[in-house]
Amino acid sequence: MKFGKRLKQQIQETLPDWRDKFLAYKDLKKLVKLVSSSPAVADGSAAKAEAEFVYLLNNEIEKFNAFFMEQEEDFIIRNKELQQRIHSVIDKWGLNGNHPSDTNYREEMGKIRKDIVDFHGEMVLLENYSNINYTGLAKILKKYDKRTGGLLRLPFIQKVLQQPFFTTDLVSKLVKECESTIDAVFPAVKEEGGVHEREQEAITVAGEGIFRNTVAALLTLQEIRRGSSTYSHFSLPPLILPDPDLIQSIQLQSPIPIV
Amino acid sequence: MSSSLPVLPTPLEEKHPKLPNSFQVSAEMKMMTNLISPQAHPLASNNGTVGYMLSSDFVFPKDINLSSFSSNSSGSQNSLFIPQSSTNGVSLPPISSSGIEIQSTPSVTFSRERKENSWCTDSLKDFLDFPENVPIQNNNQVEGSGGGMSYEDCAKTTDWPDWADRFLNDDDSLEPNWNGLLIDVDVPDPEPKVLKPSSSVLTHQSEICQHHPSQSGEISAVPNSLSPAPSSKPRMRWTPEMHEAFVEAVKQLGGSERATPKGILKLMNVEGLTIYHVKSHLQKYRTARYKPKLSEGTSDKNLTPIGEITSLDLKMSMGITEALRLQMEVQKQLHEQLEIQRNLQLRIEEQAKHLQMMFEKQGKMEDKKLKVSSSIPDEPSSPISNVMQPSPVNHTSEVSEQPHVASGFDAEESSQNVEQKQKAPKTSSHEFINQDKGMSSTPPTKRARAENFLSS
Repeated sequence: MKFGKRLKQQIQETLPDWRDKFLAYKDLKKLVKLVSSSPAVADGSAAKAEAEFVYLLNNEIEKFNAFFMEQEEDFIIRNKELQQRIHSVIDKWGLNGNHPSDTNYREEMGKIRKDIVDFHGEMVLLENYSNINYTGLAKILKKYDKRTGGLLRLPFIQKVLQQPFFTTDLVSKLVKECESTIDAVFPAVKEEGGVHEREQEAITVAGEGIFRNTVAALLTLQEIRRGSSTYSHFSLPPLILPDPDLIQSIQLQSPIPIV
Repeated sequence: MSSSLPVLPTPLEEKHPKLPNSFQVSAEMKMMTNLISPQAHPLASNNGTVGYMLSSDFVFPKDINLSSFSSNSSGSQNSLFIPQSSTNGVSLPPISSSGIEIQSTPSVTFSRERKENSWCTDSLKDFLDFPENVPIQNNNQVEGSGGGMSYEDCAKTTDWPDWADRFLNDDDSLEPNWNGLLIDVDVPDPEPKVLKPSSSVLTHQSEICQHHPSQSGEISAVPNSLSPAPSSKPRMRWTPEMHEAFVEAVKQLGGSERATPKGILKLMNVEGLTIYHVKSHLQKYRTARYKPKLSEGTSDKNLTPIGEITSLDLKMSMGITEALRLQMEVQKQLHEQLEIQRNLQLRIEEQAKHLQMMFEKQGKMEDKKLKVSSSIPDEPSSPISNVMQPSPVNHTSEVSEQPHVASGFDAEESSQNVEQKQKAPKTSSHEFINQDKGMSSTPPTKRARAENFLSS
């Protein structure tokens, strides 16, 4: 399947607020066509289209940066709040706390666990957002150079690599921190039975939750990485999942169309 | 919120003497003394808190034919950006205007980079209009979360003087510029097709907003908002350390309800941070704290998690715990794969850059060779001269040509490098062969095919 379609899928499966924040791949493709279709004409139309193309690219990048940094800021705040919440619950209702209360502790921790897992998911989805937009940019630039014989791709992509929306180190760090917090506060319990069952039966994910989005993102990632007609030396190799069973066993129920 | 000064380097120093926000000016000036490249660099502040200010730095195609732009005022920053490629560049006349006419002229090689901060969606107007009670939404218009200050050290210091000179020589005072821009900008032009390269930050901002005419109120507001106190337009990239300082300051000032942005700003004492950044951050902070407090103790909250969890069809009577565990596994995998993918992408581009540099070097070597032995028919280099055919614009032939040259010169070296760094599927060798065959075709086609080679 073509990238454009994959992107569309991804946008459908993403958080509602994010839907208009993705790359305008189609529009850019149209501009590329425009540029490549009028080289013979001596007027400035090719140059004009090219300028528009660059202009749109820059705008898109602006959009990504603004959105990304906003989300990042939110994550920083929420991260701190979650940490504080956990500490206050432990301090209050934990075993060594002020008012040790198992029921309260469990209840509050249950809420926190749900929230923190979703928080983790959102951050990962932002990383995914960043990556899919980068991929789209790289592809459209490649198309551009190919169609027009231009030299836009290389320098442009070098700039993109340094943009805030692509420099995801902080978010990555927060994700890892989140994972260690979860492991520390909610220690994993060996569940032999659970694993066994999972292998046998497929799990259907319905609803509109974060889990659904992350599953969709992972599947899309896998699909995008499949070889294409222009697969080459410099293409990304196909995705290799360490635990392919995991994602294979999960199906996404078709979303209820938003009318 | 995001009010921001356009990050116009030199002009800003000269043309904003009466900026009310002197803090801003000095911060901007400090920024100006460094070249800006789109890399985040920590800002040192007195209390050790660091923040990242960033500007975007985009690249304009080398061979675009842009000549004159009708301009009302000169000296505004072009919103089109120019790659720093070869040193022999033709300066683009300062551009600022409403409509532009792009005429074809002899192609021009641009040699400078423009730094731009055009966070259009950061609108000062949002600040002025919406009192602090209004929660910030994540939409295009109200992307007010801390207008960012962009600040980066640029490695390409050589370009700076050229570009700065240009502004010094050609610019009118910025005040009239802005008025001119405001006039321009107010002309509603939802058409993204019309290029309006005016003072990068200002019109760019409004233009971007105009791309989304559906979000009305804020859009038209944007240009108007620019005339009053222009605060830092660049967006601030918050860090956990900054947030710590923020939280500490809020605590000292008596809590999030009582603390004022001004007080917080003062206490934090972070260079480059503006009151608008603090304002928007405070708003976010309050929202984040308010929501959980709402749900504490209500039965609704208990229902919601279960509702979400049953997003998993519990065929196997999976408990909430198990469901969450599964969710975590998927998310962890996704995260891991994304990291891997990102690293690969970085490496691919590094390689491409490396090849490009190598090719340029070889091209220059060839140039010299040809010059030296101009009278002598150069057989070994004839494949090279084929390659060197491309348009006069490109002194640096595209990397895509590399394979041809490589075949003649350092083929072993380059292909080895390439293969070591990436596990090349068998198809790659086919690519090589195809391109060799394509050598005699016209340059664009050659490039086109060879670009395949560099697909990402």
